Amino acid sequence: MIQITINGQQYEVPEGKTLLSVAHDIGVNIPSLCDHPDLTPHGGCRLCDVEVKGLRNPVAACTLPVSANMEVFTETEDLEVARKTILELLLVNYNGPLAIENGKTNYFLKLCRQYHVNVQQKMRIEPKYLVDSDPNPFIRVDLNECILCTRCIRACAEIQGRFVWGLANRGIENQIIAGSGVPLLQARCESCGACVDYCPTGALSHKPSYGALNAEKKVQTTCSYCGVGCNFDLNVKDDEVVKITPNPNALVNGKHLCVKGRYGYKFINHPDRLKRPKVRQYLLEQGQQKPIEIGPWVEVDWETALTIVAKKLIQIKKESGPDSIGLLTSAKCTNEENYLMNKLSRQVIGTHNIDHCARLCHSSTVAGLAMSYGSGAMSNTVEDIVEHAESIFIIGSNTTEQHPIIGSKIRQAVLRRNVKLIVADPRKIDIADFSSIYLRQKPGTDVALINGLMHIILKNNWQDQTFIDERCENFEEFRATLEDYTPKMVSSLTGISEQDLLKTAETMATQKPMAVFWAMGITQHSTGVLNVLTLANLQMLLGNMGIKGGGVNPLRGQNNVQGACDMGGLPNVFPGYQSVTNPDFIDKFSIAWQTKYSDGLPDNVLTTKPGLTSTEMVPMAGEGKVRALYIMGENPIATDPDVNHTRKCLQACEFIVLQEIFPSETSEFADVLLPGVSFAEKDGTFTNTERRVQLIRQAITPKGAAKPDWEIISAIANKILQLEKRVFVGKHARWDYQNASQIMQEVAALTPSYAGITHERLVNGESLHWPVKDLQHPGTPILHIGSFTRGKGKFHPTEHIDPKEMPDDEFPLLLTTGRVLYHWHAGEMTRRASELLEVYPAAYIEIHPEDAIKYNIKPNQQITLNSRRGTTKGKALVTDRVSPGLVFANFHFPGEQNTNNLTLAALDPIAKIPEYKVCAVNLSSD
Amino acid sequence: MTKITSLNQLLNLQDQIIEQKRDDISTQSFRGWGQDKFAPQALKEDQELDAPRGKEIRVVLRNCTLIDPESLDDYITQDGYQALATVLEQQTPEEVIEIIGKSGLRGRGGAGFPTAKKWELTRNNPENPKYIICNADEGDPGAFMNRRVLEGDPHSVLEGMAIAAYAIGAEQGYVYCRAEYPIAVRTLMNAIQQAQDYGILGKNILGSDFSFNIELRMGAGAFVCGEETALIASIEGKRGEPRPRPPFPAVSGLWGKPTSINNVETFANIPQIILTGPEWFASMGTEKSKGTKTFALAGDVNHTGLIEVPLGITLREIVYDVGEGIKKNKGLKAIQTGGPMGGCIPASMIDLPVDYESLAAAGSMMGSGGMIVMDEDTCMVDIARFFMEFNKEESCGKCTPCRVGTYSMLEILNRICKGEGIDGDIEELERLSKVTRIHSLCGLGQGAPNPVISTIKHFREEYEAHIYEKRCPAKVCSALIRYEIMIDKCTGCTFCAKNCPTGAITGERRKPHEIDQVTCIQCGICFQTCNFNAIEILPGKAQLVGEHS
Repeated sequence: MIQITINGQQYEVPEGKTLLSVAHDIGVNIPSLCDHPDLTPHGGCRLCDVEVKGLRNPVAACTLPVSANMEVFTETEDLEVARKTILELLLVNYNGPLAIENGKTNYFLKLCRQYHVNVQQKMRIEPKYLVDSDPNPFIRVDLNECILCTRCIRACAEIQGRFVWGLANRGIENQIIAGSGVPLLQARCESCGACVDYCPTGALSHKPSYGALNAEKKVQTTCSYCGVGCNFDLNVKDDEVVKITPNPNALVNGKHLCVKGRYGYKFINHPDRLKRPKVRQYLLEQGQQKPIEIGPWVEVDWETALTIVAKKLIQIKKESGPDSIGLLTSAKCTNEENYLMNKLSRQVIGTHNIDHCARLCHSSTVAGLAMSYGSGAMSNTVEDIVEHAESIFIIGSNTTEQHPIIGSKIRQAVLRRNVKLIVADPRKIDIADFSSIYLRQKPGTDVALINGLMHIILKNNWQDQTFIDERCENFEEFRATLEDYTPKMVSSLTGISEQDLLKTAETMATQKPMAVFWAMGITQHSTGVLNVLTLANLQMLLGNMGIKGGGVNPLRGQNNVQGACDMGGLPNVFPGYQSVTNPDFIDKFSIAWQTKYSDGLPDNVLTTKPGLTSTEMVPMAGEGKVRALYIMGENPIATDPDVNHTRKCLQACEFIVLQEIFPSETSEFADVLLPGVSFAEKDGTFTNTERRVQLIRQAITPKGAAKPDWEIISAIANKILQLEKRVFVGKHARWDYQNASQIMQEVAALTPSYAGITHERLVNGESLHWPVKDLQHPGTPILHIGSFTRGKGKFHPTEHIDPKEMPDDEFPLLLTTGRVLYHWHAGEMTRRASELLEVYPAAYIEIHPEDAIKYNIKPNQQITLNSRRGTTKGKALVTDRVSPGLVFANFHFPGEQNTNNLTLAALDPIAKIPEYKVCAVNLSSD
Repeated sequence: MTKITSLNQLLNLQDQIIEQKRDDISTQSFRGWGQDKFAPQALKEDQELDAPRGKEIRVVLRNCTLIDPESLDDYITQDGYQALATVLEQQTPEEVIEIIGKSGLRGRGGAGFPTAKKWELTRNNPENPKYIICNADEGDPGAFMNRRVLEGDPHSVLEGMAIAAYAIGAEQGYVYCRAEYPIAVRTLMNAIQQAQDYGILGKNILGSDFSFNIELRMGAGAFVCGEETALIASIEGKRGEPRPRPPFPAVSGLWGKPTSINNVETFANIPQIILTGPEWFASMGTEKSKGTKTFALAGDVNHTGLIEVPLGITLREIVYDVGEGIKKNKGLKAIQTGGPMGGCIPASMIDLPVDYESLAAAGSMMGSGGMIVMDEDTCMVDIARFFMEFNKEESCGKCTPCRVGTYSMLEILNRICKGEGIDGDIEELERLSKVTRIHSLCGLGQGAPNPVISTIKHFREEYEAHIYEKRCPAKVCSALIRYEIMIDKCTGCTFCAKNCPTGAITGERRKPHEIDQVTCIQCGICFQTCNFNAIEILPGKAQLVGEHS
């Protein structure tokens, strides 16, 4: 700490900061427009000029480091005049509305008012630039209000790491431009809106909320798109979400948001929202005989709908046993709701047949990491990695598009700390631009690639032998299998040069700690578990586990897919991964839920045999072995592999209850449609990819007669119990929940890793990563410190196996699938957010220029892909992101545009995850 | 080519070359180390660099026109690289800095910061690596001192840089040269290559432990890149914009490392200070300003071109002895020094000594060496407008006062010159000048109002004449003058009427003609073409019918 004097007052201030930030901290107000605490100092606007004793001229406080005994004057007559003059100079080229609030605050006009500048008189008379000059649907550009503070340029470069904004021309002709003077989207803008947030005038504003008045209230909540778990404020007016604004207290993202989080909220109030329960006509008729054509919908009241559902489930259970019913719970819903689905399935119905979309995304991660380490979750936190990692290895994760905030934080780590980034992906994804090493492996060769790197590491003795000896087992057996993975052999399998392999291995060995990130590119293979085991081996070999800046970091897809797994939304585990094959846990839950002793019905006794996975349930529904499906917030018709087959199966299923917010494609096959609510209409918690449990808060009342999903599940449970005349009295067996917080108390009581989690702690702003062992426990940001969850980390020898379906003469192209920045999964939400749809209106299929020439395809031309299972149509996006022979398509659009018409339901033998990432197709142009 | 590995070898080589070239260089004998070698030589002089006059003495320009700039051998005959070899063999870096300190050499880019001090600061910074940069981004309109040195004697600059690098502990240097100097760029590239071939640049230069190399970077035409932080940004591949100092480049310069940036002329002085001794250098000049300075003398003097004079020389000696007086024997009005951010010094201060402090005290500055002499026919408002136009064009736009201040001041000056000045304009100019001078980020903005400030200070009445009387006393501003035909001198030859582009001149053949002031656009063609001097320029706008003044 050093002493400085500001305006005659002495202060103790920390060294190494700028005068402006120090003054701000101690409450001395110095006006400034170009400076922002989050951005590097610029020193351009000159409003923060102050007088410093001993210096001839005033200096800019924003770039002046404080020094001991500095004597500063921030308010003198000269400075007052100068500031007024500077504001007037800024008005010379300024033209815009005089309103200070116009959807956002205009700090420039606020300052003008403060310094008594006559804005109307000094402002430029005619606009110089086109008003609203950029077609980007999210960001409104009006350069007439630009004062050239360049905050947007710095925000884009330093926060988002995208470098879209720049400065053209010189002097008075200076002008902010995107790229080299093209529309934002052409300049590779990701529409994150950071530039708008940092703009102190109306030059950049949020187009969807432009001109909107201030909200009546702001409600902090957690985003419902991806697993990053960003927090923000829902701005509510007239019981509608009118915009989303960042909340600086957000633990994960701070003030930064991505395009979907910030702008993708219009689905909440979309007219398509389901507002009343609906049943098929036949269910209201005598005998309830299901016709061949399923028949029309009829809107009914809740009582009717619930009674139909309960009766039907009871009937099927009685006739065919509880295992003839399957439940698909939802990674979009809260922990509390997932816990209730698990309880409904196991306690009320009596089956372990519960699963959800984690089967399709990270089931191989959960299985693989459980085998290696004993815990299947991300081991470190994002903040820890971007602050402490020396190198980052991204394999099979299109991070900047799928987890945009984590993507931008990784970019920041590269820019600010010069972290070495290694990216391995068959597609040259955006984050590869920031990599020190980019490896383009052939799809389906990840085991070979990583084994090859480990081969080199061992040959050079680069492994962390101490870590291996002290903390791991089965090393020698594992080591032996690597012998064959010579650089030469691996190079021919993966298509990566031996030189690059060597360079990569060396970087991994020397730049420690290294964190590994992965996502669907690793998991969605018939060798998904092998891929994960191999990465687990790599991190043990390098000693990167249980330390800061290291770890295995599978990026979870859905907002609450981690929580849905945690809450027992899986066929083999109770909440907290308490295995159903362990009789102790059967006992534990039988007692808590009173299924063993008091209820007396033999068909409800919990068994130690795991239930069906979703990828088994659906085919078995087709065979009639599963007679009823209760689906909450999932859309298998869009997201399952080989959807033509899924369609047939659901068509054949006797009774389907679908709980949804929109009439999705799956609703076509449903018998009962129950209207749930969006994340804005209920309370609860989501668990993000970092195992961080966060609150969502109700901001608006549910639409129409729709109800929070936990209420619907409770109502169904109560209805079944009532009709079955079963009564539960036990504290954790009852179904009389008044709110979500109460449900979390029950979760905590039965789930050791959630034992210390309460809504109250979260309301108080605590950052809690499970395991949270008790109410005093601070949570566990880093797993496996000291020892692994299973004790010793186990090396598993793995071998390369070819994908199930490889290109051949008939289907010569290899298809890999995924998502894009502007859409979310099956698109039910994002296709109902008009601006997102405007930017990305239809399915695009990425194809390499060489292939485009070969097939005579022009950009944007409609093309058709065919596989052995079906066809998909889309527009050609000719790009070298993909390599020759590889095409990439997404599953955001329904019907014939859905790439899952093509994909293959080849399952990993352990995790039962389908091989979305590889199948063979051919191409025809329309 | 064998590499030179010692001072002795270099001296032997010099003898050999002189022997070989005896015929070519017979006109001058080999000049030993000593003062007399700076005696002005008058060989192959040209329009830019004529035979020396008055008090001229040539240190920086000593080899220009005397040697073939493409030939390192020629440079060696003139004791080239002996200073570097001596330093590497006989002196520690600290001693080098001490010698330069004793010489009193100050930065020739114009700011006049003591060179030794700059080197010392850079040397004492514990950060490594360090860099040396030669600022060859000469951009002042009409100035070409540095270009001439680069084109005529590039090795003197490279030698100076190598000595500086040795002194501060740098192994890499950059010459930042504007791309508008293609010959200088070519000469430099050639010189760097030759020096590398001789072992004068590269690893273990001249057989020592010291390694040093130089890269050439070209500017893209932005004047502001002559500002050191903008220059660094430009070398780094960023937009050429200055950043606030501190930190100074000595603390955090190129790539964030300690960097010393010196001007071409500063470097060109270094070898001679080493060879001839700091006392000799310090014997020239004033108490605080030592040595010589080159100027590009321009404007209304009889002898224009490049000059090199000892500091402390008076303006009078420059104008009347070196410049040989004002053209057509007209009266001197002012002298503008310091380039576009300099100021105008009125004729009344003709005995001002030319040194850093005196020029600053007079409201101008040394600058890099532009010097424009203006005769009595010069309109000072127009001059201020001219320089402000340049500064506005060259403002990078990063900081508000410079970006908009220069623009706003120019708008006012334009108005005044067009006869549309209003009461309060002078005060507004003064207010904007003050804010721009005090609050701008870099030297460009801080200096930009100088032409306005100095002309208002010394020639306020001219501004007032423009604004209140709508009259340009120097008869320059076309909107504020009128052309009239003197009836007694007009012969009615009709030549003017035939040449008038707007048909404003009428009259019968052999009878006096008349100019219609409504149609006249003050182009001045009649004035230039009249063979009888019958057309006169009168200050003040023509009073048109129905117009109220």
